[in-house]
Amino acid sequence: MTAARPLAGLRIADFTWIGAGAFATKIFSDLGADVIKIESRARIDQLRQARPFRDGVPGLNRSGYFADRNSSKRSVTLNLNHPRARELARKLISMSDIVANNFTPGVMEKFGLGYADVVQFKPEIVYLAMSMQGQSGPESRYLGFGLTMGALTGLHNLCGNPDRNPIGTGTNFPDHVPCPTHAAFATLAALRHRRRTGRGQMIDLAQIEPTIALLGPAVLQFTANGQVAQRTGNEREGRAPHGVYPCAGEDRWIAIAASGSAQWQGLLHVFDDDTLAADPRFATDAARWTNREALDQALARLTAHRDGARLMRDLQSAGVPAGMVQHADDLLRHDPQLAHREHWSWLDHPEMGRSVYSALPFRFSASDTAPTSPAPLIGQHTDEVCHDLLGLSSEEIAGLRASGALD
Amino acid sequence: MEHAVLQPNTLAEPLPSGTPGALAGLRVIDMTRSCLQYCGKLFAQLGADVLLVEPVDGCDTRHQGPFLDDVPHAERSLAFGYFNQGKRGIAIDLASTEGRQLLRELARDADLLIESESPGTMTRHGLDHDSLSALNPKLVTVSITPFGQTGPYRDYVAEDIVALALGGLLHMAGDPDAAPVAACGNQAYLAGAQFGAVAAMSALLQVESGGSGQQLDVSIQECVSMALENAAQYVDLEGFVRSRNGSRQRQAGSGLFRCADGMVYLMADGIASTRSWDATVQWLIDEDTPEAQTLRDPVWKLPPFLASDEGKQRFETIFLAFSTRRTKAALYAEGQRRRIPICPLNTTADLQVNRQLGHRGFFQETLHPYTGRRIAVPGAPYLLTETPWRMGQPAPRLGEHTSAVLSELGHDQRVQAVWLRAGVIA
Repeated sequence: MTAARPLAGLRIADFTWIGAGAFATKIFSDLGADVIKIESRARIDQLRQARPFRDGVPGLNRSGYFADRNSSKRSVTLNLNHPRARELARKLISMSDIVANNFTPGVMEKFGLGYADVVQFKPEIVYLAMSMQGQSGPESRYLGFGLTMGALTGLHNLCGNPDRNPIGTGTNFPDHVPCPTHAAFATLAALRHRRRTGRGQMIDLAQIEPTIALLGPAVLQFTANGQVAQRTGNEREGRAPHGVYPCAGEDRWIAIAASGSAQWQGLLHVFDDDTLAADPRFATDAARWTNREALDQALARLTAHRDGARLMRDLQSAGVPAGMVQHADDLLRHDPQLAHREHWSWLDHPEMGRSVYSALPFRFSASDTAPTSPAPLIGQHTDEVCHDLLGLSSEEIAGLRASGALD
Repeated sequence: MEHAVLQPNTLAEPLPSGTPGALAGLRVIDMTRSCLQYCGKLFAQLGADVLLVEPVDGCDTRHQGPFLDDVPHAERSLAFGYFNQGKRGIAIDLASTEGRQLLRELARDADLLIESESPGTMTRHGLDHDSLSALNPKLVTVSITPFGQTGPYRDYVAEDIVALALGGLLHMAGDPDAAPVAACGNQAYLAGAQFGAVAAMSALLQVESGGSGQQLDVSIQECVSMALENAAQYVDLEGFVRSRNGSRQRQAGSGLFRCADGMVYLMADGIASTRSWDATVQWLIDEDTPEAQTLRDPVWKLPPFLASDEGKQRFETIFLAFSTRRTKAALYAEGQRRRIPICPLNTTADLQVNRQLGHRGFFQETLHPYTGRRIAVPGAPYLLTETPWRMGQPAPRLGEHTSAVLSELGHDQRVQAVWLRAGVIA
C-alpha cells in the first residue's frame, strides 16, 4: 500500500443525514476525501439515535448504525436557522468541491443553500441532491425511508414466496447499495467533467430510481411481454436444484445452486446417495427442473443432518456452488474469507471504544482504502474547521458559539 | 391485475449535437458476464465508449430470461438487452493465441478493463493486470468476482443466492417459521457491478490526475455485506444477532398492511423517533376509526411495548379496520399529505402509471436489437444538468461490431475472414 488515497484532495460539504446520503459520502471519506459533515443539535441526525448503542446505552455518540456510515469524516455543528451559521456554511461550500444533501426539495433552498444559490458564489460546484423522489413533480415532497421505498419501487413485492406475503430483503435495501453507489458514481463522473471543462453541475438523484433500474428485467417482463412479474421464492426459472436447504443445528441453512451435468455429478458424489443418483426424475437438467419440488424434498432430507460449514466445503471441493447461510456473528467472527480480506475495520472511538466498521468492498492494488478514523462525535471538529479552514480566531469562535450559531 | 396498455412517458430524445457525456473519451473494455454487465452500462450511459467482449458463442447473459415474447433465443434475452444498452460488441475466442493478442491490442488503448473471470484465469491467458499494464501503465483493471482474488474462498464457485448466503443478507429475509428467501433479481451480483463502477471511477480520476493505473479487486460477498444495515454493529455493541422478521411488523405501526386493493408499507415509527406516530394516530381519529383514541395512551411511546406481539396485534386490528376500506392510492395521497411515511406496495405494472416517474420521464423507449420492437425500459437513474445521461444504442447483436473494431485496430478484412473461419472471432 503506497499511493495516496484515490480521492485525496477533494472536499465535500456534507449535509446528508440518516441512511442513504451518509453511506454515499462514506465512500468518499474512506477513499481519502475530506468529508465535513454539517450537523446540528437543533436537528439531530436521527441515525445518531438509532440502535444499536455501545452496551445498549443510548447516547448521541454511541450508535453503531450511525458510526458505520460516518467513518473517516469530520463533524461540524452549524445551526442553519442562524444567519451567521448560514454564512459559515457558504464559506465552507466555497472551499469545497462537492455539496451533498438528501433532504426533501426546499430544505436547502430555505437555508439559501440550494443549487441556484450556491452557483452564484461557487459556479464550479458539483451539487448532489438525493431526495426520495426528485427535485420536481407532483410527489417530489413525499417522504419515506428505505423500507417504504422498497415497497414503492416494486422490490419488496418481488421478494418472498408466492403463497405468502412479500418480505422484501428484511432491510432498508435502497439505502445500503443502490442509492449510495449510484450517487457516488454520478458525482465522480461529474468531477471528471469539471476537471476537463471547469464546469460544475447539479445531480438530481431520486432515491427510488436506482432501485427500479436494478429491477430492469422484471420491468421489461411487463413492458415487453405484458406479464406482471411475481414472487418466486428461491426458485429461478429453469434451474434446479436452486434453493435453501436445512442443516444440522438451530435455524441453520445452506444455499445450493447446481446446473449442468458436471455440477450435478459433483453433488451426487458428495451426497453419495444411491437413490438420488438412480432416480430417473433427476437424470437431466430438464428433468430436474420439471421435478424440482421432488428434488428439493429429496435434497432437504439429505442436508438436514449435516453440518452446514462442512457440507459447503465438500460441495465446493466438488465444484458445486454452495454457501452456508451466515448471520452477522458468523460474518464478524468466523468467516475466514472476510478475515483474510480485512473487511471488518476495528477503530478506537472516543466514546464507543474499539468497535467495528465495514471497509469498502474492494481492494486497490496500490492505494489504501480502509477507514481512517472512527465516526466523529457530534461537533467534534467544529473548532478545528472554524480555525484551520475558515480562518476564525478563538475569540470569533467563542462569539459564534455564544450566539447559538454553532449549536 | 389489470394490464393497462402501456403509455410510454417519453421517447429518448437525441442529445443536441455537441453535448458531451461526462465520460466522453473514456475507453472501456467489458469482459464481464451475467448482470455484472450493469457496471459497463453505467459507464456507457454517461458517455464512455464501452466495448463488450463476448466469447464466440455469446456470453451467458444471452441465455438468461425473460425472453421477448417468451421465446428462448440468444438474441431475445431481455436481460442481455437491458444490461448492455449503449455498448458496442465484439466476439473473440480468448482460448486462441490470436484472440488473446487481439485483447492485448484493445487493452493497449483502453482506460478501463472490467472483468469477472475466476481468479487466475486472466493470468493463465497472459491477460492479468500486470501483463496488460506493461503495455499500458495507465490501465485500470477492475476484477469483480464472488469472493475476491485471494483468500481461502477465492476458488469457490457461486451463484447469486450463494453470494447472498455467505454475504449475510439471505439470513435477514424471510418469515421466521420458514427458510430464508433470496432477494429477487440477482441483487448480489448487481451490488458487485455497482461497487465495481464506483471503485473504477475513483481510480480513473486518480489516473487522470497523473497517477498510475492499478487493479481493483471487488468481492461480491463483501458488496452484499454492505447491505446488512446495522447487523454487524448489533453483534459487536449489543451482542445481539439480528434475524428475519418476514412480513410481520418490525414494531407496532411499521410494516406491511392490507388495504382495499393491495397492501401499503407504513413506517409510523420512523427511524429512531416517533415523529410520525402522532400524525398517524390523528389521521385514524379524524377518519373515525374505532379504538383509534386508545393509540394516544402513553404506553405507545414505550419501545418495549411497540416491539411486543401485543402492541403489534393491537395496532394491526385498529389500522386494518381503517386501511381495508381504502385503496393504496388513497392511503398514499392522504398519508403523504399528512407527512406520514406510507407507500403503496407497487407491482411492475403500477410503476408504469406512477405520475411522479412519469413527470421525470423515467421510463424511456429503446429498440429491441434483434426484432426492432419498441420497448419501454428504466431510464436515467440520475439527472445531470450539464452532461445528461443518455440511453445509447440498443445492445449489440453477437459480433455486431467485430469487424469495425478490428478495422480500427488496423486488421484488414481478409485477415478478419481468416479469423472468422478459424473461430477466433465471430
